[in-house]
This record gives sequence, structure tokens and C-alpha cells, in this order.
Amino acid sequence: MNRRNFLKQASLASAAMFLPKFVSGFNLIDSAVATGKKLVIIQLSGGNDGLNTVVPFRNDIYYKNRASLAQQKSNLIGITDEIGFHESLIAHSNLYHNGELCVINNVGYPNPNRSHFRATDIWHTASDATEYLQSGWIGRYLDATKSKSLNAIEVDDSLSLIMKGETTDGIAAKNPKLFYQTTQAPYFKKVVNHHDDAHLSEHNLGYLYKTMVTASNSAKYLHETSKTFTTKTTYPKNGFSKQLKQVAQFINSGLQTKVYYASLGGFDTHANQANKQKRLLKVYDEAMAAFIKDLKQEDSFKDTLILTFSEFGRRVQQNAANGTDHGTANQVFLIGEQLKKQGFYNPMADLSDLDSNGDLKYDIDFREIYTSVLNNWLDIDAKKVLGKPFNGLNIV
Amino acid sequence: MTIKEITHLYNRVGFGISFQEASSLQKQSRTQVVSNIFDASREMTPLSVDVSEIKSQVRGLNLKDRKKIRSLIKDSVKKIHQLNIAWLYKLGNTQELLREKMTLFWANHFVCHDKNILHFQQYQNTLRKHALGNFKDFVIAIAKEPAMIKYLNTKQNKKRKPNENFARELMELFTLGRDHYSEKDIKEAARAFTGWNHDLMGNFRFRRMQHDYGEKTFLGKTGNFNGEAIIDIILQEKQCAKFICEKLYRYFVNDSLDASRVAEMTELFYQDYDIENLMRFVLTSNWFYDEKNIGTKIKSPVEFLIGMHRIVPMQFEKERELVYLQKLLGQHLLFPPNVAGWKGGRNWINPNTMMLRLRLPSILLANGEIALDEKGEFEDDFQRFNSKRNRQRRLKVIPDWETFHANNSNTTTAQLQEVLLTSPLNRGTKQYLDKLADQDLKEYCIQLMSLPEYQLC
Repeated sequence: MNRRNFLKQASLASAAMFLPKFVSGFNLIDSAVATGKKLVIIQLSGGNDGLNTVVPFRNDIYYKNRASLAQQKSNLIGITDEIGFHESLIAHSNLYHNGELCVINNVGYPNPNRSHFRATDIWHTASDATEYLQSGWIGRYLDATKSKSLNAIEVDDSLSLIMKGETTDGIAAKNPKLFYQTTQAPYFKKVVNHHDDAHLSEHNLGYLYKTMVTASNSAKYLHETSKTFTTKTTYPKNGFSKQLKQVAQFINSGLQTKVYYASLGGFDTHANQANKQKRLLKVYDEAMAAFIKDLKQEDSFKDTLILTFSEFGRRVQQNAANGTDHGTANQVFLIGEQLKKQGFYNPMADLSDLDSNGDLKYDIDFREIYTSVLNNWLDIDAKKVLGKPFNGLNIV
Repeated sequence: MTIKEITHLYNRVGFGISFQEASSLQKQSRTQVVSNIFDASREMTPLSVDVSEIKSQVRGLNLKDRKKIRSLIKDSVKKIHQLNIAWLYKLGNTQELLREKMTLFWANHFVCHDKNILHFQQYQNTLRKHALGNFKDFVIAIAKEPAMIKYLNTKQNKKRKPNENFARELMELFTLGRDHYSEKDIKEAARAFTGWNHDLMGNFRFRRMQHDYGEKTFLGKTGNFNGEAIIDIILQEKQCAKFICEKLYRYFVNDSLDASRVAEMTELFYQDYDIENLMRFVLTSNWFYDEKNIGTKIKSPVEFLIGMHRIVPMQFEKERELVYLQKLLGQHLLFPPNVAGWKGGRNWINPNTMMLRLRLPSILLANGEIALDEKGEFEDDFQRFNSKRNRQRRLKVIPDWETFHANNSNTTTAQLQEVLLTSPLNRGTKQYLDKLADQDLKEYCIQLMSLPEYQLC
């Protein structure tokens, strides 16, 4: 046994000792993947306007196309001689200067789809634009590592495609207390307690009972574990912050879950974009600030990687309603202490070379990012999850 | 027929049956009962919402008026949500059981979605019209539907620049299944469907100038084929009959195929592609009633919801809540996940949907609470998104217990159990249930519906 394995075993053993056997989630998490690293995925849903988020303020083409929407240099947070962050991204600019942020520009895929639903599916399933997959890349990560549902949590009431595997789905749990209470309804509890394990056959009925027991045990484990931690950080009062606060509580309480997913909606800014995007990015940035502070206080930030994406960017040319229409490539943010590449991974998109729709041509396939995250952060052969090989990037 | 057989039959051709109805059929022969089911589906009642206003606006539409078009699309999408609700209530109340059940099947076979209510409503009723008819007529009708012409890009399929999307899915998903044709066949078939288009009001239009009249070689045959000829050649492949029979067997009989039964079905179906004949054969066969086929299928969310409604009728005060329930359970009718449709079977079930299913009877029928936060919609502004988080609510549902009691005035708890649970019971659960058996029928009903066994049909 090498040192790392020993520590792994030791930490699992101690966690198990503190909990009575019946509440222990020991059997719910596969020890093979129980290293300390966590991945938090955040979707800015609706298609965030990347060009007004990370702004090329010396680019004439940008100003020509955005007559009323362009961000003026004086409003931006200066990052480099040519690039500024949107004024709402205060925490992100600090992360940039601390070397805890990597901005990957112009991320997309061939033959981009401009429908929210389809584009979201493509990002969630890691498929080609012409391919329809019914499982998400995190779900298939659960499959490939043969891990249990509890290894991937969506902080919401229902499960998104990204979390659904071929054989195992992640769990949706926004509020572990409520989730636990639902399993404590008297009748439900009685059925869970009375069923006869010996009769859980391979028949569909056996499958239903097994799923019920998994749900019940997971809810209990989540509740019992997460309530051992109370945060000292103040979060803003809004839904997205609550989601991130919950993720921090899960992580800081020592939950072994590897992947978390949360989303912030409302980025579909076809009309009067400026104020909407400003408020939304503020919600996003301030929630992240609190979340990272919370993790840092408990020394768990070093083991956490945060990936933020949006299903597409927006058209370079603004529309007549002071908004922007659905576009293609967009930036991805990676946040963490262990980044191999800090700051900008690659140059901004070339605004003089657009496709026939007037949209950006992507430089980096989003699955190259997934590949690196899977190979280097989640320690699994990415090909097993993505089905085909992509070149990784030197990011984590 | 026995109560068990009648219940099994009605679970599969409909959404279950009450004990009283089942016992009234007991004296009839199987042929008679099945015959009655077909007779009840002889008529076709269309699914419809009022579209007269949109229709008249489309008639006078100036295609350059972008603003008008945007507002029309918005109205149209609202109507599609109404159509979704209308469909659910139709399923809950229809007498044309088998036609509706087959329509659900075909809607997940010829998968389609459209934002245009005129076209999409018409599409839904084309499914209904052909649900028990001739499969060849059905495929041709579907290929000519405006909603499908848009969904699979036949509209963009032109002589000078063919689009293969429809041709590919026609073979892969609608008729033959994967690996029974070549890429060349797809290209040739795509040429045959060039020029298939539609007008605004939803009529099929053949655009001669965009059609490729040249010679095509398809599945080993060469000729001056048009779209209909391509469909005809596909149906000459026995694989097509087999592909459809397998899918029907999985839907109506059992998730795992029995090769010899499917072969019997295929022989029959291949003769004339008559869907009604095929279904009559299945429903009257002895093997349909084999023990291994009873109570083994996992109900789809719609089967689950409608099944409850048919025992205890429910009225939703807020239709939005009914939409949300469908989403939580994983099947929002008219909004399929993609062109391959819902996978069904065990894919309906994960820890979250399982918990929700077990709790739903008490939520709907006994005033229980549910976490009812919608995911942020793409278009939501963030106040709305933020104002609705982390709340438990009661759904505004009115269960009609009077009708339940009227329909079950002489029913015992054991009899109710006989029609609600058809799968073998888990032993521990059975012992637990035995203790409850002298309960009030209403309470017992809710408890039966809250069991894993009730998820099967």
C-alpha cells in the first residue's frame, strides 16, 4: 500500500467510525474514487454573452458591431492591455490576479447548434452536433468508475441530462433536510423498513426496490453528514448563492461526493441586455466569491476545481432591440489552486473571421477540456467516458 | 376471462380498470372482450385546442413583418402547452382507449416537435388517424407532414443540395433500424425526397423544380424512384416488419423480447402491414397472458399519472403544476428529449423519480407537500428565478373521492388490490399490507398506489 492509498483508507475508516453503521454512507460511495478532489460544474443557462463578459476593448470590429451594447473601456475592470472583465466580475478579476483563474477563450464544437435545448444537450452529453446521446458525461463518469449515485449531486429538485448515465444516475438534492424528510414520511418509511431484501431479484420489481433503498440511504447519509458543518461565511440572499452554499456545506462536511452541478438561468438576453447581464453576472460573481471564501476557510479550496460554461455565446452583431441573438463559441472559466495554466489559456476569438451566420469560429473543442478534467483531475481515462479520444489541454 | 387477465389487458391497452368494470367483463370470452376494445376505438376523436385566432392571423400574414411573426410564435408556443394539457385530460377520459394508447406509442416512434401549433396539432391527429391503420399509408402520411418536414429538414432537401436527415432517420428510427442499409442508400433515398415541402396552412406541397428526377439505386433496386417508391421498397424488406413488431412487443408485452413470438408477429404483419390485425393477434394470443408478461413493465410517467386519475379522478387548478409534474417525472408530452424519443423501461427510474413516484399519491390525493421549484428557464429574469427557491408547496389538486366511492361501492380492499397491483408482491411488503387490510378503502387505495409494485403494470 503506498502512502496515498493508506491515507485514503485511513480517512475513510475514520469517517466511518464517527457514524453509526446504519447512517454511514460507506457503502454508498465507491472507495476506488474516493480521493479528495472535487469538481463543481456551473452552467450559465440561456447563453451568456461572452463577448461582453471578457471584452476586447481595443478591437474596432467589436465596437462597430455593438453600436449601443459595447462595453466602454472606462467601465471595465482592466486585466491586460487589450482585455477587460465586465464590471460585475470583481471576484473573478481577483482570482485572475491570484493565479486561480484560467480563461479558455472561444470554446465550441463543429457545426454549432443555436437552440438552447439542443446546445445544452450537446454540452451535457459531450456529443457531436449530429449525434443524439441520452446520457450525460458526468453520468457516464459514474458508470465508468462503477460508482454510486451519490458520487454526483445536482443541487436542484430534478436531474439534468448531464447527470444521467447509462446504468447509474446522479442524485438531485437541493436541500438535504427536505430530501431526508421526504424519506421519513411514515408510510414511506414503513415500506423501506418492511421490504424483504431476499426478494430483490433481477426482475424490474427488484430494481425498483433497490432504487428506493438507495434513495432512502442516500438521503439519510446526505442529511447526517452535511448537518455536521455550519458555515461561517455570509452568502448573498438569492437562489444561486443558496445552491453554492449547499455545495460548500457538502464539501466542507466531508461528503465524499466527487462532482456537483448547479446552474444559473436567465442569460437569454435578446432585448435590453446591458442591465440584465450586469445583474446576472453580479449574482454569479458574488455567489462565487462567498463560495470560494467558504472553501478556503476550511482548506478545501485546494482540492476543488470549478468549471463554468454556457451552452453558447451570442452573435457578434447586436440586434435592433439592444440585445444579442444566439451565437456559437464562448469562454469557459476554470477556477482552482492547482491550475497548470493561469490567466488566459489562449487568445481571444478572431472577430475578422466569422462564419456565414456572423458567428465566431471556435478554436477549442469543449471536449478537450472535459478530457483534461477527466484524465488529470478525476483520474479516469477520458476515453471511457467520452467514447472517443480528444487532445487534452495543459490546464490541470 | 379472469380478473387478473382482464386487468392485465386493460393495463396494456389503456391505463388500468376498476374492479367493478373488470368483474362485469368476466363472463365474456377473450375474443369478445378484445373485439369490444377495437370497436370502442373505431372512431377517431381529434385532439384539439382552439386555433381559429392563430389561423386567421397566419392567413393574412406578411412574411416581412418580423415583429408580428415573433408574437405569433409566442402565442403558438402557449397553445402547444395547452395542447399538452388537453392531451393528458383526453387520456384520462377517453373511451377510445386502444387508439389513444397506440397514439402514445407512435408519438414516441415517429418522434417530432414543432413550435407551430397549426402544424403540430395536425401532426398529432395524423398519428391518431393511422394509429390502427395501414403502416405504409402511415409512413407516407408522416413523411408529408409539415411538422416532420421541418423537424428532420426535408424542407432543406433540394436537388442541388440534398439534406440526408430525414432519409437517415426514416430508415434508422422509423422503419429498419440501424445497420440494415448503407450510407449510399441514405444518399439515394434523400434524393427521392427532394422537393417535399409544405405551405403555411399545413398542406403538403411538392416543389417540382427542387426535385431530383434522376435514376436512383436504393437497397439493390434501380429506377426513377420518388419518395413513395422509396417507402414501398423499404417495406418490402422483412426487417421492417420485424423492427416494428419488436418495438410493439416491448411496448405492449415485455421489455425482453421472445424471439419466437416476435417471429409469429412478423410473419403476420409482413403480409399486409395492417396494424389492427397485428394487435388483435397479440391481444387474443395465449402467450400475451403468460405469467411472465403480467405486472412486469415499468409504467411510463404518463401511464402512472393517468392510471391514478382513472381510479381517483383529479382536477388540477393550476395547469402549470401539471406541466411541472411531467418534467419532474421525466416525460413532458409533446416535448421529447430528441428524435430518438424516450428510452422508457428502467430509464424512467432513478433515486429522485422513484421517491417522487412513491410520494405522489399522498401529494395528489392526501394533501401532501412537494418541493416545487422549477429549474431556471432560459428566458426567466433573475428575480423570478430567485424568488421561487427552496420552498415546499401543496399542489392545487382536487381529488374526486365521490366518484371513487361510487365506482367502488361494493369493492373490498382485497379486490382493489387485485386490480391495482398485478406484479408479485415483495414478501415483506405483503406481510405489512396484510396488517392494513381492514382499513378504510380510500386510505388503502392511497397506500397501494404508494408502493413500488404499483409502478409496474
